[in-house]
Formats: sequence, structure tokens, C-alpha cells
Amino acid sequence: MATEKFVIPIGPQHPALKEPGHFQFDVDGEVVKGASVRLGYVHRGIEKGAETRNYVQAAYLVERICGICSHVHATAFCLGVEKLAGVEAPPRAQAIRQIVAELERIHSHLLWVGVAAHEAGFDTLFMYSWRDRETVMNLLEGITGNRVNYSANVLGGVKVDIGPEQIEAILAGLAFLEERTQHYLEVVSTDAMFLRRTRGIGVMTREDAERLGVVGPTARASGVPRDVRVDSPYLLYREHSVELVVEEAGDLEARFKVRVRELFESYRVIRELLAELPEGELTTRVPRRIKPAETVSRVEAPRGELFYFIKSNGSDTAERVKVRTPTLPNMASVVVTAVGHQLADVPMILTGIDPCFSCNDRMTVIRRDGERQAWTWEQLRQYGIEWYR
Amino acid sequence: MSTLTAVIALLFFPSGLVILLAGMAYEWADRKLVARFQNRIGPRWFQPLADNLKLLAKEEVVPEGVQRGLFITLPVIALSGALTSVLYVPVFGLAPAYSFSGDLIVAIYLLSLLTLCTGLAGANTLNRFSLVGATRTLTQMFSYEAPFLLALLGPALAAGSWRISTIADYGAENLLILTQPIGFVVAMIGLMGKLELPPFDAPEAETEIVAGALTEYSGRGLALFHLGKGVELIVGLTLIAAFYLGGVANPLAFFLKTLGLLVVLAGLQSLLARLRIDQTVGLWWRYGAILGLVQFLVLIAWEGLVA
Repeated sequence: MATEKFVIPIGPQHPALKEPGHFQFDVDGEVVKGASVRLGYVHRGIEKGAETRNYVQAAYLVERICGICSHVHATAFCLGVEKLAGVEAPPRAQAIRQIVAELERIHSHLLWVGVAAHEAGFDTLFMYSWRDRETVMNLLEGITGNRVNYSANVLGGVKVDIGPEQIEAILAGLAFLEERTQHYLEVVSTDAMFLRRTRGIGVMTREDAERLGVVGPTARASGVPRDVRVDSPYLLYREHSVELVVEEAGDLEARFKVRVRELFESYRVIRELLAELPEGELTTRVPRRIKPAETVSRVEAPRGELFYFIKSNGSDTAERVKVRTPTLPNMASVVVTAVGHQLADVPMILTGIDPCFSCNDRMTVIRRDGERQAWTWEQLRQYGIEWYR
Repeated sequence: MSTLTAVIALLFFPSGLVILLAGMAYEWADRKLVARFQNRIGPRWFQPLADNLKLLAKEEVVPEGVQRGLFITLPVIALSGALTSVLYVPVFGLAPAYSFSGDLIVAIYLLSLLTLCTGLAGANTLNRFSLVGATRTLTQMFSYEAPFLLALLGPALAAGSWRISTIADYGAENLLILTQPIGFVVAMIGLMGKLELPPFDAPEAETEIVAGALTEYSGRGLALFHLGKGVELIVGLTLIAAFYLGGVANPLAFFLKTLGLLVVLAGLQSLLARLRIDQTVGLWWRYGAILGLVQFLVLIAWEGLVA
């Protein structure tokens, strides 16, 4: 009798993954018996990089942490630095930040619906949702001039204004998207063939979700009412609040429903903000040098809570910038929920948390003798060059 | 002289070169239709031809740890099986090149050869994706093959013959889709399973097991398997059109009916999400086989009562 495990490797290069990560699934026939994950293939040293650049440059850099939720990174960073400097962006700037953030959420969720449907072999939904996503991409391009890294934020405010013509375009786009979203909600909750692949698959109970500390739509699909926009409102989320979208089932179907239903909340909030867009300046002055202090800044990214810790030292450069992206707490849940499922469900379970590998990749150096060590940017860069030689 | 006609029939027309080109044309039509249904542009008309020419010109990499002879001959056997089956089928609306009593069974067997070779090809390599793909391919074969056979035996029973040309003649006089609707549905879905089209594409689900059983194939071997699939698509469509849709007596009827069936296939492909392999097996044995059997029993009872 062969007792060796039959391991299916997924990654670092695999058609199911859009970014490199490495998963090993021990299978017995088609059933997954064990799973492990290894990350770190796309570590870019951005935290270290942010410590060697001044605040203005670092805002530009952190926006490039994620290609999908770039705006929330810049928002979290700017909010943190503004808090350290003791200034607050003008109301109009905050409203525009919030509008762009919600538009970004729409684009991210539509993208996810497509990717997750593709993992289930339902390419038609993939193609349609990505076609409709173009609408919101065009809106974002119309506002900021960019489709991916919008670069709407600047320390102390925003770079772009929203005029009457753009308001009209956004409202028209939202009307179209709302109609389509209604259709997608119907598809993901009624299509019998698709439900065979999502209902009861990858169930994470509320206890598990709380124990594993998952965040964002993944947590809300397991019945955990957790949303930074509601729990600790930032920007104008106090005045124009979103309603928590929670599903109890904890399976893939619930994750689809939570994300699609959240789109309606985003449409509503954007309309509210556009209707009552505050007048006034777009930016306020932020000092170049910031006195020594430290702060924490939390925002709700499309994937969940995004956490920034920023420590200033009196110069124009941050002493430490620490980023925790939502994928990091969510990733462990994949390894737990995948066990016991069919191999065919694994790509969907993995995609169910909406992973973003390069955002969350980090490097750990373990020194067993207890010695502490701080690497310089130059050393880190050299290490990377050596490693990939 | 008869040797010459046999060679021509096998290598040029109706089998051989012509059916290969026709298979690629149908593959293109299928891809284009699915693309249009999915709001995509789809490939240009010569894309399958270009793909296959490119593959055929490429070096075939034989991976380590495989039985070399098998690795090279399996695609050849698969394609020749598919090409041989063409000889017994009224493709292009012409009479079959060869015909004998019982050729229906031979044709169906030759069609299954492709799937069997795909499964063996996957099991022959050490690649883990291939092994899982091979298991799935063979599992799927065991689930759709019996209902598919039953669905094609219905018309044979009605016609009282195992000879494809006789059944086709009978089918031309009687529109069997009206008298045996269940058989028609089972045959269509069986064909989708045979061709591993969505939603029955679990054996080559790219997001799980890359390319399934054929993951290690590149170059010539891959091209031969692809060509075989194209041929199988035409043969399957021809059989269903000839048996159920009132026959394919002339080329015009052949193209209209098979392309009409292809539109239905493309629609189903874009409508449905992929089934897991256990769901595929469950679907076939719980519904497909039972429905096929019901159809069969009704036929037998009918024959018994009328005759």
C-alpha cells in the first residue's frame, strides 16, 4: 500500500492564479485532505521604500501596492499623515475621496464576480461582468484621468474636482450598472447550475470567521458584522453612511451575494454624495516636516479592513510605515475551508476571499540567536537581486 | 481499383483531408458562436487552421518518465480512429463510403477510441495534473457512454437495423425527434460530454488541472488530438442529424441541420457553469441513463404492441 500523499501543487505559476502564490493540496482521489500555503513570491519592499521617501513621494508609492484597490491605499496613507500633521482635508475633498473609493469598490467587486465565475467555468458571467465593469472604469478615467492608479489623492486633499458634466456621466453610468447588478444578483442567487457550484461550498461558520479574524466581505458572508465604514467612520461615512450587508450562510453563494448586494449600497452612497457635494477648497496645506508621533489609520478596502501604521520622526520622511492588507488575515481561512472539499471547488474557495497576493506579500527573516537586525533599503534591494539571480 | 478508391476515401474524401478541414471549420464556428454569445469578438476564420499548422510544425517534447512509444502513438491512434469512423457515416449528405450490418456499433466504438486514448495519454505521464485529468476523462466516459449509446440505439430499434445507412434512410422518412424526443436530448448532451464541452469540461478544467490529461502534450501530438476532436464533432453532429432530424439526404440539408445543432451546442456551452466530476457522473447515471432507458422501454413496448 502506497501511503505517500498525492499532492496537487497550485502555483507559483498556474492558470487559476493571476498572481504567484504556492498552494499544496493533498488529495485522496478528488477530495482535499490537507492544504498549505506559501506566499512571498512578489514581495516588493514597499514598506521599506516608503521609509526612504518623503511623505509626498510615499503617497505616490503606496498607491502602487495594489492595482485594483489603489485609491484606498493612498486614502489610508493620506488620512494617517494628515492626522499626524494635525490637519484635515476640506469637506469637498473628503466627498470626492469617498466617491472615488466607492467607484473603486464597484470596479473591484465586478471584477471579482467575473474572476470567481471563471474559476467555476462560467465564462459567460465572467465576460458580461467585465464588460459592464468598463463603464465604471470609464467613469474613473473621466474623473481622474487614469484607469488603474487613479492618483486622486494628495496630502491634504484631492487633485481632481467633479464638475456638473461628470456628475451627469456618473449618474448615467450608475443607472446602467444598477440594472446590470440586479441581473447579476438574480444569476448568482437563482441559476441552478451555478448554485450547484456555490451553495454549501467552502462554508465558514461565524465562529471560524471570528477565530481566524477574517475581514471584509468574506467575514460579512459568514455573519460577522464587520465593516470599518460602519464601525469607525472616516471621510464622510458618518454623514453618508452605508448599511452593513451581512449574509449568514458563510458559503460561496453568500460571498457572491454579499459582494453583489454591496454594490447597491455603493450606488446609493455615491448618488447621495453627488447630490450634496460640499462646496469649497480641494486641498489644505500640510507641513513638509511632521513632529515625532505615531498613528493608526484604518479604511475599508473592497476586500476588507486596510490598516496603516505610520510613525513620524520630525523629518519629511516617515520613520516607519506598516501596511496590513485584507488578504493577510483572510488567507488562512482558505487552508481551513478547503479541507474536505472536492479539488474542483478549491479554485473557487481560494478566489472566494478575493486574494491579492502582491499586496500582502512580506518578508520574514528569522534569526535564531535572538539578535536584532534592521536592514537598509540598499541591503534589501541587494538581497532581492541576489535571491532572484 | 478498389484499393485506390479505398485509399482516396480514407485519405482525401470523405475521410482524411476534407474532414480535417471541415472539422476545423466547425471548431471555428463553435468558438465564434460561443464568443459572440459571450459578447466577445471571437477568432478569425482561419484560426484553428493556423493553430494546428503551428502545432504540427513544432517540436514534440517527450517528457521524462513516459513510455515513449505510447506517448507518440496514442495521438495517431486517436485521430485514425476518428477518421475511420467517418467512413461509415453519411457526412456531407452523401452515402457512407462503406456500410455493413452493425457498422453503428463500430462507428461508436471508433469514436470512443479518442477519449480512451486521451485517458491513456494522461495516465502515461508522471504529471499530476495529467493523472487527475486522465481519471476524470475516463470517469466521464463511463458515465455518458451508456446513455449516449442508448440514445443512438433508439432509432436503430425503430428502423430495425444496426446499419447506419438503413437507420438514416428510416430517419429521413420519419422525423424521430418528434417520436423520440428524450433520445434526442440525451444524444445531444451525450455528445457534449464526449467532446468535453462546457459544462462537461471538468477533465480539462484549466483553473484546476491546467489542461488535464493532455497537459504534457505539445506540438504534433496535441495537434492530432485537436484534429481528432474536430472530426468527432462532425461525426457526432451527423449521426444526430441523420437519426433524429429527418436525415441528411443532400449536402444542403447536412450543413443546415448540423450547423443548427452546433448553434444549440454553443448556446448550451455559454449558458451553463462547469459541473464537478462527481456531479457529472451523478447527472448521467441519475437522469441520463434512466431517461435513455425509459425511452428504450417505451420503444420496445410500442414495437411489441404494434407488431
